[in-house]
Amino acid sequence: MIQKDPTRGFPSDWKFPLDEAKRAQSLSLIRLESARKHIRHYPTFWEHLWNHLRFQSWKHWILQGVLLLAALFLGLALRKRPTEGFETLTACSVFFVFAGNICLTNVANLFSWHMAELEQTLYLNLRQMICIRMLEAGIADFAILSLFLIITGGKNPGGILGSLTYMLVPFLWSDTLYLHMLVSLRNVSSGFRSFALGLLCGAFALFPLLWEDVYQPGYLIIWLLLAAFGALMLVVQIHRLLGSIDKGENICLN
Amino acid sequence: MPELTLDRISKHFKNKIAVDNVSLSLSEGVYGFLGANGAGKTTLLRMICGVLKPTAGEIRCNGIEIGKLDGDYRYLLGYLPQDFGYYPDFTARRYLEYLAACKAVPQSLAREKVQEMLSLTGLSGDQKNKIRTFSGGMLRRLGIAQALLNDPEILILDEPTSGLDPKERIRFRNIISSLSKGRIILLSTHIVSDVEFIADKILLMKQGRIIQQGTVAEVTESVKGKVWEYLAEPAAAIQMNDCFAVSNLKNEGDLVRLRLVSDKRPCEGAVLAKPGLEDVYLYHFEEVSEHVDNLERRTL
Repeated sequence: MIQKDPTRGFPSDWKFPLDEAKRAQSLSLIRLESARKHIRHYPTFWEHLWNHLRFQSWKHWILQGVLLLAALFLGLALRKRPTEGFETLTACSVFFVFAGNICLTNVANLFSWHMAELEQTLYLNLRQMICIRMLEAGIADFAILSLFLIITGGKNPGGILGSLTYMLVPFLWSDTLYLHMLVSLRNVSSGFRSFALGLLCGAFALFPLLWEDVYQPGYLIIWLLLAAFGALMLVVQIHRLLGSIDKGENICLN
Repeated sequence: MPELTLDRISKHFKNKIAVDNVSLSLSEGVYGFLGANGAGKTTLLRMICGVLKPTAGEIRCNGIEIGKLDGDYRYLLGYLPQDFGYYPDFTARRYLEYLAACKAVPQSLAREKVQEMLSLTGLSGDQKNKIRTFSGGMLRRLGIAQALLNDPEILILDEPTSGLDPKERIRFRNIISSLSKGRIILLSTHIVSDVEFIADKILLMKQGRIIQQGTVAEVTESVKGKVWEYLAEPAAAIQMNDCFAVSNLKNEGDLVRLRLVSDKRPCEGAVLAKPGLEDVYLYHFEEVSEHVDNLERRTL
């Protein structure tokens, strides 16, 4: 039996006519499906950072801006006034303590509204979010500290190192206390706790006003020891906080 | 397609044993965890999610301990916690976009996925409203939407239907059924009807242990010959309600039809009935009796 060639009689370059609209529609559906399947995406650290920052509330950014502006104005005001070095240092220390506490409230916010449990199960989990927020707080603190160092460095007989130490000690210990309370006293009303702690630490940072000699170079070694121990305690508290997240029980009770 | 293995998992909180030596192997399908409050369901699901660390035992995904998989494991997860958290100042859309970013859904795809989930859960019309204005049912739907955002291969839903009205519950069941292919879906509830029609496997939990597991047919088979129906006078019905695990009471004229679970024939005239999952639940968890008692006594 002779088989008929179905293409016989057609020009050699003949093709079935294509419905371009239908083709485009089908291709777009395929692309969409393939994109759906290809969602395995590993964001870089910078993507994580950006993703996290872009969802911070406008209130947060306003607070950060106000804090930096206040630090700038305080610095300029102290620079113009013919104050004693110790007064300038004390004012900067108190402000720095408040700034540290305010920046840390952004870390504490992660434990509010029952979000911690859910966030711990996300690809960017709670532990990483805390690290990002601490980094953000650290950058803001660093900016304020740098500003204050420029202002107070020349007025203090201990120089930049002295000023740095005098301001770091109350800051490190107040942050340590804040994190300790965050890990250990989660059931206490957080807003009231932050406010009370801020006031307490601020008041503590005022103590050089009562004891002027404390900024004398002879006491610098004690300040250095307090700073080193404070830094160590801060690291311990951060480790405790991250450890409690890994263990999970505190998250489930928030 | 991932496979989860729970190898002799236990969780202790100080002196309390919340989960006691649970071993399971989970592959594609819908698994319904049924149990009374405090049975250990939530603790077990939290451990599977990696939120809680087991006191003893190991959870493995495709043979690797989930702690070692870290982000790779969380990438596969969708989780709706019992206490669903949200930032009240966020709008529904912004909240979902935030979680999509945290779930590493590519930005190019996130917008479309968010819209898809909003439509799926019937929240499209409320996407620009702040979450603080949402009702309990809307919050639950938002929770379901966020759990599905990353097309999870392991979907864990803890009491997903609490706060949903009957229509929303049916809608939820349909969503879960449509998603069940190619995933592990773990669903914890104490509402039997939530899992009766959609779960491939039922796991009954009591005091931290899995006391029974199997398909609905297999599990109900276990109470075959223990479910009875009896038509009684109202006074007798109240007495029987106090003495037996009664799953249903229905007025029929001047009499009351009781459905109860008992190892032995409760009284002369009681006839065997075909068991259902509610009867199994009642057989193991006496709390339903109180529930029925409170609800139905008034009808007598």
